[in-house]
Amino acid sequence: MGTLLQALILGLLVGGVYALVASGMNLIFGVMQVVNLAQGGMLILSAYLTYTLWEATGLDPLLLVVITTPCLLVVGWATYYIFIERSRTTDASMALVTTFGLTLVTKGVIALIWGNEPRSVTPDYANRSFSVLGLRFPQAQVYACLVAAVVLTGLYLLLRHTWLGQSIRATASSSEGARLIGIQVRSTWAAAFALGVAAAGAGGSLLSVLYPFMPSSADHWIGLMLSIIVLGGMGSLPGSVLGAVVIALAESLTSTYVSPDWAAAVPYLAIILVLVARPQGLLGARLREDMSRA
Amino acid sequence: MTINRLRAGGIGLAAVVLAGLPLVSDNGYLQNMAIMVFLLAVMASGWNIISGYTGYVSLGQSAFLGAGAYTTALLSIHTGVSPLLAAPAGGVVAAAAALVLSLVGRRTRGIAFVIVSFAFLELTALLVSNWSSLTNGNHGLALPLPTWDRAYLNWPFYYYLLVLLALTVWGSWAIRRSKLGIGLMAIRDDESKADGVGVRTDRYKMLAFAASAFPIGIAGGVYAYYIAFLVPASMFDIVIAMQIVLAAHLGGVGTLWGPVLGAFLLEPLNQFTNQNLSGPDAGSWRLIIYGALLAAIVLFFPKGVLTEGAAWLARRRRTEPQATAGTRLTAVPDRLPRPTVIRSRTPQTASAPLLRVEGLNKAFGGLHAVDGCAFTVERNSITGLIGPNGSGKTTVFNLLDGSLAADGGSIYLGERRIDHLARWQRAHAGLARTFQATRVFPQLTALENLAVPSRSFSTAGLTASAISGKEAARAHEWLAFVGMDAYAEHRAGGLSYGQQKLIELAQALMLEPEVLLLDEPAAGINPTLVERLADIVRKLNEAATTVVIVEHNMPLVLSLCDHIHVLAQGHVIASGPPGEIERDPAVLDAYLGDHTPGPGNDPAPSGATA
Repeated sequence: MGTLLQALILGLLVGGVYALVASGMNLIFGVMQVVNLAQGGMLILSAYLTYTLWEATGLDPLLLVVITTPCLLVVGWATYYIFIERSRTTDASMALVTTFGLTLVTKGVIALIWGNEPRSVTPDYANRSFSVLGLRFPQAQVYACLVAAVVLTGLYLLLRHTWLGQSIRATASSSEGARLIGIQVRSTWAAAFALGVAAAGAGGSLLSVLYPFMPSSADHWIGLMLSIIVLGGMGSLPGSVLGAVVIALAESLTSTYVSPDWAAAVPYLAIILVLVARPQGLLGARLREDMSRA
Repeated sequence: MTINRLRAGGIGLAAVVLAGLPLVSDNGYLQNMAIMVFLLAVMASGWNIISGYTGYVSLGQSAFLGAGAYTTALLSIHTGVSPLLAAPAGGVVAAAAALVLSLVGRRTRGIAFVIVSFAFLELTALLVSNWSSLTNGNHGLALPLPTWDRAYLNWPFYYYLLVLLALTVWGSWAIRRSKLGIGLMAIRDDESKADGVGVRTDRYKMLAFAASAFPIGIAGGVYAYYIAFLVPASMFDIVIAMQIVLAAHLGGVGTLWGPVLGAFLLEPLNQFTNQNLSGPDAGSWRLIIYGALLAAIVLFFPKGVLTEGAAWLARRRRTEPQATAGTRLTAVPDRLPRPTVIRSRTPQTASAPLLRVEGLNKAFGGLHAVDGCAFTVERNSITGLIGPNGSGKTTVFNLLDGSLAADGGSIYLGERRIDHLARWQRAHAGLARTFQATRVFPQLTALENLAVPSRSFSTAGLTASAISGKEAARAHEWLAFVGMDAYAEHRAGGLSYGQQKLIELAQALMLEPEVLLLDEPAAGINPTLVERLADIVRKLNEAATTVVIVEHNMPLVLSLCDHIHVLAQGHVIASGPPGEIERDPAVLDAYLGDHTPGPGNDPAPSGATA
């Protein structure tokens, strides 16, 4: 019972961070139907930025979110205008492959700058835990989950209650309609894309404290993000929170009761099972494009 | 002609040079590069079958390389068989893995499939590295060393892969020109439409996946022997999967030689980076180069060298068919093409209706689009299905042809109940339809569009050539019948809306249907074409084809149909001959009242002349 509770607690805490990590990819898909696999590279890039800033300044890595997020916002904004805008004119499947190419480039650049060895950010609370009723709450996980909740709430409020958020949601629902009522669709897409990448930036800072990372970690995180948004329903923000928690719990339970080696298989298995059994995800609208005509 | 001769000459020359290379030069660097080129070319050609022809973009193709490599390695380690002999078994296992992926691909398309293929690759990689009792996990697996004389160096690898490449290209060519190939290209253009004209898309895709993975698996076996040491990370490598996609795009996706050409262009770059960038940074630079190249090619040069080159040549030489602008449709011939194959018609029970619908139901969420709908269609009739917008007409069609599954009720074609049948089975049973928003296969020519419909399925039949003599003749006859024969060689996507409607009609007629369902055939086309259409429908009907029409053009419906069913709120509110229907107060109230002038006093021109 204790083991089960412990696994659930860890799963829930990690789920919060996963939710933030996947929210950017989900936002971008929701607004412009682009599956942005470049998020994997962006996430790791932000983790490395956090590492360097932490080493140089000694500031708390979780608070460095304040710096990495705007940095990645700029990166995302530039990426949109250089690559993404153009890729929208090609076949959707190939646009997806292109964004994976961007992750390769990011991985290469990171490896040139920081090398290929695994890094980790270890503030003094990295190995400490709170103990409540004999259950362990690792401090890093608790703080990271709190920061993730704050950032996600901020993103949610931004989308719900600002003019920019309104334009983004209007554009997501119909870009043509948005254009007709005077919304600058092009800059709205750029803003949404940049916001999505920025969310990955925030996520990268958090995960740098929780897991060791190296350039090739990007692939693992891409798989994870995909599984979360596929499970939660592509384009649905509450869905991705739910998806994140489910995946994190499944990983945590697999790791406890089966073997940590197989925990890595959970996201991929989830993708395949969900897309075969229920393509629209837990909370999402239909993803299938073959039924839309008829 | 000269282009073809040039191409044949170039390919022949290249083949001779490649076959002779090891004999005249013992340059190990060159041979190694050639071996890697062959490997990539085999993989890209294989990828092209599912992704280029069929439109399922796979980001997990290196899973088949790994499956072939590990199978071959394990077989030769445990049985002592030479890996070169065991490699075909690797191909079989890779094909089996591809069948698993194709089962997954039954329900996902487009970007969802790309994601699934990526997950599939990562999952197989994990499976192989975690199953260490068999594969020795991440510690790797060493293969036996080659047993032949050192003097022959890499000859066996070289020629094995060269022959494999030749066979793969030949197989790809054979698929392309077969019934299977044209079905695959139809799936790429519009999968559910292909289903509707009787193509067993599930079987086609399974075969395509297996054919795609088989050569890659064999190549994986040979490659395993060549590099002599396997670790999961270097086999089930996403970067290899990307190189495959990249090579195919560089040369030209969906073309026969494009992927091969792409491999010849890309691999030297690979070797160059290997040679000139050494040390820890080499890998990083390769990632950057491939990633950037992939993005650049997809964004700025998406069609590849072959396709862009051919388009450029065509622009210079104007080899496109000239008939386009200003060609008039030919007159509708009086005689119908004679059906060459008589289907086993449904038993001619004297008085039974041909199509019988009972208690049909379909709800979308809370909306009952079709609600207890029941009607019959008499043999050899032209039956109209009319009703206001939203009354459920198109939904009824979708339930009839199986593009939607009914919630309840039954549909009989003759004596046979068909509502539980798959779409292709209904097409085989004698049901054909056209769509309100016309759906042709845009990248196929008009003639090829007519070669897609299939009245039966047999695996052997798939090897038949895509448009054989007899069938081509029949397709031409039907094209002539709708007046479109002059456009036979034109890509359907480039034709006007009205012309596409005629192509779609001719396509449906290739099925030699017992019942032809026409969904708003007269919508959005000019009055002359409407007349022509009415003419065609009458002639078909005289030749014993039963026609059901959904149409808003009332004069056309009233003049054409022998019997009309009126739908409102998903069920039939009136049935009868046109004269009766146009006077029925319930119908006038539900439908005719607000929209059209009173019967008899102001017929629209198209109806009056038809």
